[in-house]
Amino acid sequence: MHLVVSVERSSTSSRVVDTARDRESERWVAQLRAGHPRRERTVHKLHDLLRRAAFHELSRRRGQLGSIGGPELDDLAQQAADDALMNILARLDDFRGLSRFTTWAYKFVVFEVSGKVARHAWRRQPPARDELAFEQLPDSLSPKPGERIERREQLDALSGAIGELTDRQREVFVAVALNEVPIDVLAVQLRTNRNAIYKNLFDARRNLRARMAAAGHPVAEEDAPR
Amino acid sequence: MTDHRPLEELLRADEGDAGCIAGEDILDAYVELELAGADPAKVYPGTAIHLRSCPGCRADHDGLLEAARRFSDVEPA
Repeated sequence: MHLVVSVERSSTSSRVVDTARDRESERWVAQLRAGHPRRERTVHKLHDLLRRAAFHELSRRRGQLGSIGGPELDDLAQQAADDALMNILARLDDFRGLSRFTTWAYKFVVFEVSGKVARHAWRRQPPARDELAFEQLPDSLSPKPGERIERREQLDALSGAIGELTDRQREVFVAVALNEVPIDVLAVQLRTNRNAIYKNLFDARRNLRARMAAAGHPVAEEDAPR
Repeated sequence: MTDHRPLEELLRADEGDAGCIAGEDILDAYVELELAGADPAKVYPGTAIHLRSCPGCRADHDGLLEAARRFSDVEPA
């Protein structure tokens, strides 16, 4: 079984934006187009909104940023807003009205923040060697005294199955699933992107489930051989 | 009862997962459906499955949902 790499199709049934909001969105798009008399003012307003949203998103992800100071946070928010604005202006024709214009625009700034936080976190503290290499299951998974025997055997089967993954699948699974290394930080470390890491993770999980089931320790009923 | 991380969660790899890229395009529409009280999984089932398994996309989704809730409905200048 594979990850379904697909495009999620939108249909008119997915539209929940009402007419007043449609008109508001249309005004945003029209006023951001080159030559509109209010363009400069509208661009400025959008940038201001993007900067506020970026700052809020950075604050939400502050746990990954360490002891970053206020000015540095402001600077990151400014950069994210600048980059998002450039993207939005270049892709105005891609706006299909399936959401409010502002929601569509915030998507760009959230993606920018996501990438910038990952790069910042990686520079500050790249994943340690032991976060990528498998030696044993973390304490949060290890069998405890008194644990049911089936669970202990299942975890033994998991340990064995991890050892049989490909090097890349094992590295990704150990980092992201076992040691909770942020997926985007790992992507920076391995010089790839989130989607590629996720595919490795998905394949690793599928392999582990299949191997555990084959060893007589299925994770779920549907994994059990028929 | 012993406290431990559920294996089902650790090894979640559900059939129909649309992956990261499919969700990028429609995340704003997905969030808008949620804000309207609709079920986005009915329209975008592959992304709904994906968001349960991908911590990166889930973080983006959560951030966008919050931004749309706090800062949307703003008129242009």
